[in-house]
Amino acid sequence: MTTLWKQLTALALGLAAWPLMAAAASMGGGKDPILIGVQACAACHDGPARGRQFSKWRLSAHAQAYAALALPESREIARLSGITEEPHKAKMCLGCHAAGAEAEDWEKAGGFHLEDGLQCEVCHGAGSEYAPEDIMKDKMQAMMRGLKMPTKDDCLTCHRAKGSHDAVLRTKPFALDAAWLAIAHPKPGPPASETQPPALPASPFKFTGVMACAKCHTGSPFNFQFSQWRRSRHAQAYAVLATPRALEIAREVGVKGDPQSLPQCLECHVTANQDGADSRLPGYDARDGVQCEACHGPGSDYSPEAVMLDQSAARAKGLREVNAQTCQPCHQKAHGKQFDYDLAVKRIAHPTQAPSVAVSEPAYKNPLNLALTPDGKELWVTCEASASVVVVDTAARQKLLEIPVGGQPNDVCFTPDGRKAFVSNRLDDTVSVVDVATRKVMGTVAVGDEPHGVLVDQQGRYLYVLNTATDSVSVLDVATLQEVKRLSASRSPWSLAQSPDGESILVTHALSRFVPDRTPSLSEVTVIDAGRVVVEDRLVVKAANLLQGVAWHPSGEFAVITLLRTKNLVPMTRINHGWTISNGLGVLWRDGTIDQVLLDRNDLCFPDPSDVCLTPDGKYALVTSSSSDQVAVVDLARLIALLKAAPPSERARVLPNHLGKSVEYVVARIPTPTCPKGIVCSADSATAYVANMLDDSVTVLDLTKLEAAGRVDLGGSKELTIRRRGEKLFHSANISFRRQFSCSTCHPDGHIDNLVYDIEDDGIGMGPIDNRTLRGINDMAPYKWIGINPSLKRQCGPRLAVFITRIQPFSPEQLTDLHYYLCSIPRPPNRYRKLGEDLTEAQRRGKALYERSHKNNGQPIPVNNRCVTCHPPPLYTDGHVHNVGTKFAYDRDGKFDAPQLQNIYDSAPYLHNGIAPTLEEIWTTYNPYDEHGVTNDMTKDQLNDLIEFLKTI
Amino acid sequence: MNPPGLFSRPASRFARLLALAAPGLLAAPADPPAADPGLPYVYTKWEQITTQDGLPNDHIFAVRADPRGDCVWIGSEGGLSRYDKQTKTIKNWTEQDGLPWRVITGIEVNPRTGEVWLGLFGGGLARFSAGRFDHFHQLNSGLVNDVVYAVAIEGDNVWCATTAGASRYNTKKDKWDIYTEQNAPMEEIWNYNVCARDGQVHLAVWGSGILEFDTATEHWKIYTDPDGEMEIDLYRDDGVPHVITTGASYVDKILWMSSYFGCARYDGRHWRGYFDHECGLPSNFNNNLKARSGQECWYCTDKGLGACMDAETCTWVTYIPDGKNHTGKAIIKRENQVLKVVDTGYNVPQIFQICVDFDGNDVWAGTSKGLGHGIGEGYYPRLRPASAGVAQTTAK
Repeated sequence: MTTLWKQLTALALGLAAWPLMAAAASMGGGKDPILIGVQACAACHDGPARGRQFSKWRLSAHAQAYAALALPESREIARLSGITEEPHKAKMCLGCHAAGAEAEDWEKAGGFHLEDGLQCEVCHGAGSEYAPEDIMKDKMQAMMRGLKMPTKDDCLTCHRAKGSHDAVLRTKPFALDAAWLAIAHPKPGPPASETQPPALPASPFKFTGVMACAKCHTGSPFNFQFSQWRRSRHAQAYAVLATPRALEIAREVGVKGDPQSLPQCLECHVTANQDGADSRLPGYDARDGVQCEACHGPGSDYSPEAVMLDQSAARAKGLREVNAQTCQPCHQKAHGKQFDYDLAVKRIAHPTQAPSVAVSEPAYKNPLNLALTPDGKELWVTCEASASVVVVDTAARQKLLEIPVGGQPNDVCFTPDGRKAFVSNRLDDTVSVVDVATRKVMGTVAVGDEPHGVLVDQQGRYLYVLNTATDSVSVLDVATLQEVKRLSASRSPWSLAQSPDGESILVTHALSRFVPDRTPSLSEVTVIDAGRVVVEDRLVVKAANLLQGVAWHPSGEFAVITLLRTKNLVPMTRINHGWTISNGLGVLWRDGTIDQVLLDRNDLCFPDPSDVCLTPDGKYALVTSSSSDQVAVVDLARLIALLKAAPPSERARVLPNHLGKSVEYVVARIPTPTCPKGIVCSADSATAYVANMLDDSVTVLDLTKLEAAGRVDLGGSKELTIRRRGEKLFHSANISFRRQFSCSTCHPDGHIDNLVYDIEDDGIGMGPIDNRTLRGINDMAPYKWIGINPSLKRQCGPRLAVFITRIQPFSPEQLTDLHYYLCSIPRPPNRYRKLGEDLTEAQRRGKALYERSHKNNGQPIPVNNRCVTCHPPPLYTDGHVHNVGTKFAYDRDGKFDAPQLQNIYDSAPYLHNGIAPTLEEIWTTYNPYDEHGVTNDMTKDQLNDLIEFLKTI
Repeated sequence: MNPPGLFSRPASRFARLLALAAPGLLAAPADPPAADPGLPYVYTKWEQITTQDGLPNDHIFAVRADPRGDCVWIGSEGGLSRYDKQTKTIKNWTEQDGLPWRVITGIEVNPRTGEVWLGLFGGGLARFSAGRFDHFHQLNSGLVNDVVYAVAIEGDNVWCATTAGASRYNTKKDKWDIYTEQNAPMEEIWNYNVCARDGQVHLAVWGSGILEFDTATEHWKIYTDPDGEMEIDLYRDDGVPHVITTGASYVDKILWMSSYFGCARYDGRHWRGYFDHECGLPSNFNNNLKARSGQECWYCTDKGLGACMDAETCTWVTYIPDGKNHTGKAIIKRENQVLKVVDTGYNVPQIFQICVDFDGNDVWAGTSKGLGHGIGEGYYPRLRPASAGVAQTTAK
């Protein structure tokens, strides 16, 4: 039959099977199918009578898909996707490179191996229920029990264009039709009896098979030994006997029959073929070709770890030394090919330890925040990129040493006695406890998600940790390091400061509270009563967002915070005169009133005010602008005098928007190296220290002269990689007119600012859209909510310049750099389900709902209206636009790009216009006609289960 | 009045028969007269707080003394109120102030964080913290139903008794669990009340008795009426007197429960039923209850506030107001015997009791006509000898 005819037949069979499947589903019963693994399929689906289907697969790239994750290219692709795990342990990579990546243990039979890569069941469905021969013979029956006949569209779930892969592999675009033909594995005729290899005498030790070896000899600890073998010709030795060339060679040497069953061929092409069946343990599969034990000897007795660790014991139990004598018996008769042992052994070398090579990848520090030891002698600086804390001698102004801590350290603080330091690690969700004297990490404490600011109260009783991703504050007893309570904060708590009298702790927040549609932001400063350790007040800063730095005036009369005033409710038609974003400070008075003032000038802005510190003498406020590389020095006396002199109406309405006032209180703007973030001041008010994130340095400011007095090199690489250049562009406001904002302004930490913007390109007042996260953005084309941008480069190219930055666009080189950086923004791990973890009961039920094909009453759900259709794993987006019934009056079109769902719990609000603050509301409020999946028949607990599953993606 | 002794308690049938059949056995040798166990504390000093004092509404559905001891939270049909004990002033929050729903049926205060959790009758659940209301309802969260009768706090979890099951919200993990007949031994799912203490959570389920959830094992146990759904208690002390339950309170490993057809106490082995015809319970129709200890529990009935002050001797104090004349009395009973009637003056504002809470030695009672505050000067638990000068009889 022609391929097209076969496809049509398959389609017809599939359609015809639908009512049967529906009937079967509605009848219920039957077991949940589980994965049985390719070895089980190969028991029947090989040999000439079956079109050598297994061998064809084994020679294909699908069979090496898992092993390919060990290649350096895979690591680069992972880095380019912001994936922080190793590729062979990353859900995102395994989703396309292996079967059953997200399956639970119970869903995999004993003979299933993840290491077999993309196996039959990826395309044909989990086979436990249809694999028995009597079922398989009846296609209808088989399909009712889970057998799927894939179409070309199914291939595109994984084979869609991925920028990360294209950038590294530089392969030609995927040719679907050609690939479809290449993997075709039809069955040629009725089954014939297969020739069994002759039985031969047993050996003293038994063969375990390569998969037994792979249980240990895989992954980076063993230098990916299994993967190296799997990519080698040895692994294909049996499968290659199915090729036409093998038949030709057999004919040439006068051998008749199927090479895959001829002892003369199998002797060299299969391990242990000359040994009897008794010599092979269950799990051994001859189809794995020339396996480990062909060279190293049958492993039944030496493979246990206790034996393996002792070389002499292992040798006594059959571990063979490998030399030329091992290879030559087979390779000398290699069908006329010359065999160079020395060359060959280098080619297949698979040492346990990877050869050490000079680190070619430049390593940066990315200093973020800093703290002075109570005696002022040392400055500790958290370095996010190097997962360390750098200790600087303040007198010598030199780096002393570096202390490794957890992933992406963010902030550091000390106990009042200076003995302990606490470092928040936002990748690991932990706090490192460091002994200051020994410089050693004494322990690590788990806290909430993505911790940022840390502070020990003045009494040294409690450690406060801001859980930025879970909107809470962990309070830990310093002595026991036990979490004693968790206080409710607002959205994305960022940093904190205790009042001089010790009574209150203020907590700033990066994101506004959820507000009704098309209303101004309301950002919170939480006030914690430090005595009772409870929240005693919640100050609301109106029309402001990204409240980050906070510091108290020594008098205790007021505190100062950094803020942005983003006018997201007006269309972004211009950005001069503070149209879109203005930047400044908030003054929080003891009585709860709040003033807002700007640090921008009319002609030049002060973008991304990140941190503030007040000199202990109360004279100055020092504010870093991380996107314009400067520190503003604010004369507090002038500022307060200006505020007090202004009538209440002016304080409320004029000063927060007045671009001309900053000249009255900003007395200096001190240039710093790239991207100044945290800032602290010495106790004598004479010196300040600024962490320059993209310069890997600390600037020392002389506050008597109001100028930079020195630079402390923290030791990062001086080389500018493509990623580093892109990172600098991302954090620079030079990309926008009058330096008003940078990319990081709306995407702090590569994430969200919780605002909905009205961008001009689709019409003024039309289509306000929610700002989306950049984490994991690569490979998620198309871009824009309406899906019109096919690539990130298009997204950030001239269009960006015309409608957003309003300045000359990036040069092609800049765009390349920026693109690289955007793709590589690290994505945090999913906190609800790590790779390999079982689902909870609720998550499992939710997964079934996510994948369901029928409603509760048995009615089939159209394919196009199932969750898994538009959000298929592993990317959880099909890359198409869809109308899901969420068009609002001011939307031009009702079709929107299906967003990817990774870590969806972390990027509220939802839907294209951010109208749904919670996941539930997507369906309880905004899906009245079941256009966004069929959910109205669900019970409340079913919806809860679905959401529990969504959180695990 | 019969002296305390053989017939003063509803002794088992066997004991009675034995006593009747073999008086000789029991008569000799002669027992000395039983010592008077004493009298309970009686609240004689009361104040009433109503809309005239600033409450937004007199229908008081929930009252909770703040663990900090400085205020009392009041939930009514008109909003949330905070009574400052020092200044004796009331601050109210209504929907204009951000309260998500004006009818508050449940209040619980997290002793660690100070957050106030509110059950809203038709509005779901709210967290009130430092002036901010966070609203959880069935459309924006995993809460099973917006008709919330009561809330309880168990560690990091907030439990809600709703009309369509119970919800448990883990505030740390942001995870909701729903308990209905699908996964709990609920024969009905109308949850009237919830309490959490000492690792146990108890649900009072209308039509399904009392459900007990062990937080360590996450296993359920159900206490139903072994008599079936009979309106009378056919066999005494065999379990809860009726499955239409309205409250449970678990203290000192004693489970107290209330229903529309009587109340009971369970010590883990023995049940003891309480009915209005045989003890100080003012009425079998109970809206709510709160236990202070394993010996003391207060019941909110439609005919007054009944306090079992000493379970061992079945000594009760029943507070009955005369709302018309603004007077009131407290009746001290032991089993079915009235020991004393004390003139308390106007005590609870109204005879229809809805909720009660303890505040140190004080007691707060919510009624359909305002809040009563019993001031417990000289409070003592259980009983003291009558000679100690307790239970004043003089009118205020």
